[in-house]
Amino acid sequence: MTSPLMIEATGVEKWYPNGFHALRGAELEVRQGEVVVIMGPSGSGKSTFIRTFNGLEDFQKGSITIDGITLSDDIRNIDAIRREVGMVFQQFNLFPHLTVLENLTLAPVLVRKRPKAEVQRQALELLERVGIHEQAGKYPGQLSGGQQQRVAIARSLCMEPRIMLFDEPTSALDPEMVQEVLAVMQELARDGMTMVVVTHEVRFARQVASRVVLMADGVVVEQAPPEQFFTNPSHERSRQFLRQIA
Amino acid sequence: MTISFQRLRRELFATPLDGLISLVLIGVLLAAGSAFLKWMLFQAQWTVIQANSTLFALGRYPIDQQWRLWLLTTLLALATGTTWGLLRSGSTPRWPRNDLVAAVLLIALASAGTWALQLPFPIQLRWWLISGGLLVCRGVAGRFGSSLPLAVRRGAAVVWPVLYLVGMVLISGGLGLMPVPPSEWGGLLLTLLQSSFAILLCFPLGVMLALGRRSELPLLRWGSVVYIEFIRGAPLITLLFLGQNILGFLLPGGLAPDRVWRAAWVLTFFAAAYVAEAVRSGLAAVPSGQLEAARSLGLPLPQALIHVVLPQALRVALPATVGQFITLLQDTTLLSLIGLLDLLGTARTVMANPEFLGKSAEVYLTLAVLFWCCCAALGLGSRALETRLNTLHTPVKA
Repeated sequence: MTSPLMIEATGVEKWYPNGFHALRGAELEVRQGEVVVIMGPSGSGKSTFIRTFNGLEDFQKGSITIDGITLSDDIRNIDAIRREVGMVFQQFNLFPHLTVLENLTLAPVLVRKRPKAEVQRQALELLERVGIHEQAGKYPGQLSGGQQQRVAIARSLCMEPRIMLFDEPTSALDPEMVQEVLAVMQELARDGMTMVVVTHEVRFARQVASRVVLMADGVVVEQAPPEQFFTNPSHERSRQFLRQIA
Repeated sequence: MTISFQRLRRELFATPLDGLISLVLIGVLLAAGSAFLKWMLFQAQWTVIQANSTLFALGRYPIDQQWRLWLLTTLLALATGTTWGLLRSGSTPRWPRNDLVAAVLLIALASAGTWALQLPFPIQLRWWLISGGLLVCRGVAGRFGSSLPLAVRRGAAVVWPVLYLVGMVLISGGLGLMPVPPSEWGGLLLTLLQSSFAILLCFPLGVMLALGRRSELPLLRWGSVVYIEFIRGAPLITLLFLGQNILGFLLPGGLAPDRVWRAAWVLTFFAAAYVAEAVRSGLAAVPSGQLEAARSLGLPLPQALIHVVLPQALRVALPATVGQFITLLQDTTLLSLIGLLDLLGTARTVMANPEFLGKSAEVYLTLAVLFWCCCAALGLGSRALETRLNTLHTPVKA
């Protein structure tokens, strides 16, 4: 593997203000173009871990370097990282007071200072790519959950990020809408986007992931290519987890 | 809106007990209503209002400078009509029922009001022209507004802050106009000035306090908390007295504002604490994911607040905030207790005049109606704003 390191997290420890020790020395390396799926039982710290990558959660020990920039308390530094890292949330978090198109164009115009007409053109292309360009003038509340999540993905892509983080992107969706969102993510992976995905979708992990990571109790227990992880895991903790979700 | 006998029967006399209650209530209402009407039409002596109408409106504003206020009223009426028309442009029918009702009310007020006050004919004519001008602007803007570019229509909002500044110059003088010191402002003029000044300034101040209260910077957070809780714990009248006495000591000689302005600032700082609490409830209603999503897109905190969080929070906080504005308008009557001649203060001087002794019922009733009109206007405006904001979109269910 010679492609450059996009994410390098070493010895990350986090305590919540209530004293809960959520991350206990979590480690992860992600190279350009890799799709890393993080799995694990609830409460294992998966979401907390990827939320530290763009500074949504702070951490007390260890270090995280994103695309060559080391996370520190410096606000400018965090904003610089956030411009390069897109994030998709479980609850979509679209801005309900803006139209779909405005949701996409807000950040590129304000943060990247790009001309509005140009951003709108790009936004419409992206919406076409995720299959909802007819809805550009609607408000998020008028769309289905699956459509909202696809808009959220397009919104992140409109900032032209180098890394995309997905925090359980299909967990809040009705079952019949899961596939349309996964299809968009699969296409994104095929185009070479570096992705870290927290999910319970085994089929997605098998088909798309370059590596599956199992987290438990705030640490990374095992990482392996999907075939090996699902058929012949090396750790007892992984076998236990696979039995539970089977 | 047809009143059917069947429906009346069903709603008022469904059971014998219902019928009894209805009869008793109708009796009470009729008795009170007829007694009130009898007093209003035959016993009350409205000369106290007719003779002092200018005093109630303006206080002791110099008579030879009153043309400035006529000019301001005219400008305000034209701006109101135009804004109203622009907001309604493109609607079908061109005059919705509510607008027709408002127009009829305005015409009725301009004719019946000026007649009841027995204003001289030239003054009556001026009121007719002003309300006519308002309605003409409403009609023209409503008819042609939709053919204007959106930027022009939105830009028209700039007229209001400009008009406010022009109004301040017209009222207080300067720029070549003869200065009229605040001590000569009075009546409805002073009441509206004080409340509009406080409403305009307490809103941004309240938003900043609410944001400060939720800030992660401890000094800012605790500063906001202490301020809000201190102000909300003290009665306004104490703060008004405090303001009159303390501001004079605290600020060096020339900087201490005039008594009228001191009161205006106290009202502003007082209302800001309450607006802050209303806005805080609005902020609490915005899911934390909104700020996270905005920050994840790389928006710095101020931009995330301005473009994502506040638009949603203020929509939620709007009804409570307007309620606060209405309270503020009514609270201006306390100014009479610190010796300012607002509507109530003016009324008290009029009632102290031996010529009008014993006419307090007439005076207080007039004040009540005036205040009710102002508050109703505020309330209607906010409801119109609310429906307008709500029709834009349905909220996301998270």
